[in-house]
Amino acid sequence: MACTVHLGSPLRQYTGGAATVSANGATLDEILTDLDRRFPGMRFRMIDEQQRIRSHIRIFIGTDAAQDLQRAVAPRQSVHLLCALSGG
Amino acid sequence: MPLSEAELRRYSRHLSLPEIGIAGQEKLRSARVLVIGTGGLGSPAALYLAAGGIGQLGVLDFDRVDESNLQRQVLYDSASIGMPKADLARTRLSALNPELQVRAHQTELCAANVQRIFQDYDVIVDGSDRIATRYLVNDACVIYRKTLVSAAIHRFEGQAMTYVPGRGPCYRCLFAQIAEGVAPSCAEAGVLGALPGVLGAIQATEAIKVVLGVGEPLIGRLLTYDALEMRFQELRFTRRIDCAVCGEHPSITRPQDPAGFCSVEELRQVRSISAAELAQRMRAAGQPIRLIDVREPQEFAADHLPGAINIPLGAIEQQQRQLAHAGSVIFICRSGVRSRRACAIAHRLGVAGAWQLEGGLAAWQAQIDPSLRLP
Repeated sequence: MACTVHLGSPLRQYTGGAATVSANGATLDEILTDLDRRFPGMRFRMIDEQQRIRSHIRIFIGTDAAQDLQRAVAPRQSVHLLCALSGG
Repeated sequence: MPLSEAELRRYSRHLSLPEIGIAGQEKLRSARVLVIGTGGLGSPAALYLAAGGIGQLGVLDFDRVDESNLQRQVLYDSASIGMPKADLARTRLSALNPELQVRAHQTELCAANVQRIFQDYDVIVDGSDRIATRYLVNDACVIYRKTLVSAAIHRFEGQAMTYVPGRGPCYRCLFAQIAEGVAPSCAEAGVLGALPGVLGAIQATEAIKVVLGVGEPLIGRLLTYDALEMRFQELRFTRRIDCAVCGEHPSITRPQDPAGFCSVEELRQVRSISAAELAQRMRAAGQPIRLIDVREPQEFAADHLPGAINIPLGAIEQQQRQLAHAGSVIFICRSGVRSRRACAIAHRLGVAGAWQLEGGLAAWQAQIDPSLRLP
């Protein structure tokens, strides 16, 4: 079942500028893998070699922060992938 | 002292609000608020804070007005180009509301001056455009128990949050650590001129609410704004018990400059080389070039230029002996921010032939080698 993924502005370079995309998967890990299959390089931008979320990235399932890639994502739940911004 | 007749007239629309009234307006007049950075965010934030009657208002900026600022930095006009921002901001804000005490700090915030500057204020509005400053401001607010209203912008997107001591998570709880250059600046990425108007007004609103003690500040809530989609989103996060500054066992107990901190003046003096020029020099025979990639080891491991060695930015200062005999060195990072800093440090250490790759590996990838893998 697909869920809706909202992308922070710096991540949209992978999606041709699209702010929202759909992705398949029952867990966060599966969703990120599905995104990387369609938008190569996107997962590595967010997840390091030790499978940890990079410190300038925050992921939210619905409106709550998620730290664990194995967190389940319910069908039709939204996922937000956010990057730290520095502009002022 | 009760509000004067002039103040009663000026703030009449505030006084009509039961949430403010005369007592609230007197609180605003007694408030001490500092705006860090009088650029895109700081301009509207400071204007609304001054118009709203914040009695003691500080504005801090080291920079001078550039023509490219005028697209969004509404404190200034065409006659301002080349003039010091903080001093101009004080003049403009004092003209808007002459009853206020407006203080200009025409300086760069650093660990050495943050306590002295912050001691005169209760609420800090952060509109800076450097990651290093964002962490310095956050840590100082936690350590000196100041309220922080933070916002940041990028292209068409903005984020805002509020930290109140003892009441919720700080900025480090949201983003534990960010290397310089990972989060691009407005100069690198571009920004919609009206975007900071929205976020700066939100910052002023938050500061005023906190002073008045009304409503629900953005504590533990990150407000995101997407101007293209015209959508606001509220995302929740909590205090981290392992936070380096507000956690149970903080490792940061006094404000500190990050490794590789350089003044703006040092950064301005750095020499740059374009991706095309570097490619040409690498192809030219008999011209050995020392390439030092200052990204983190995991970024370097993902991919790097042939012949480059990895010395992360945080370790550059410890490499004085190695650098002193290096001859010509070109520093490289992802986008050109960290390499500029490394280059400034190398100059400080006495390396005469130091350059940095303008636009970093992102420029190399765009102009020379699209197959380069960048995290």
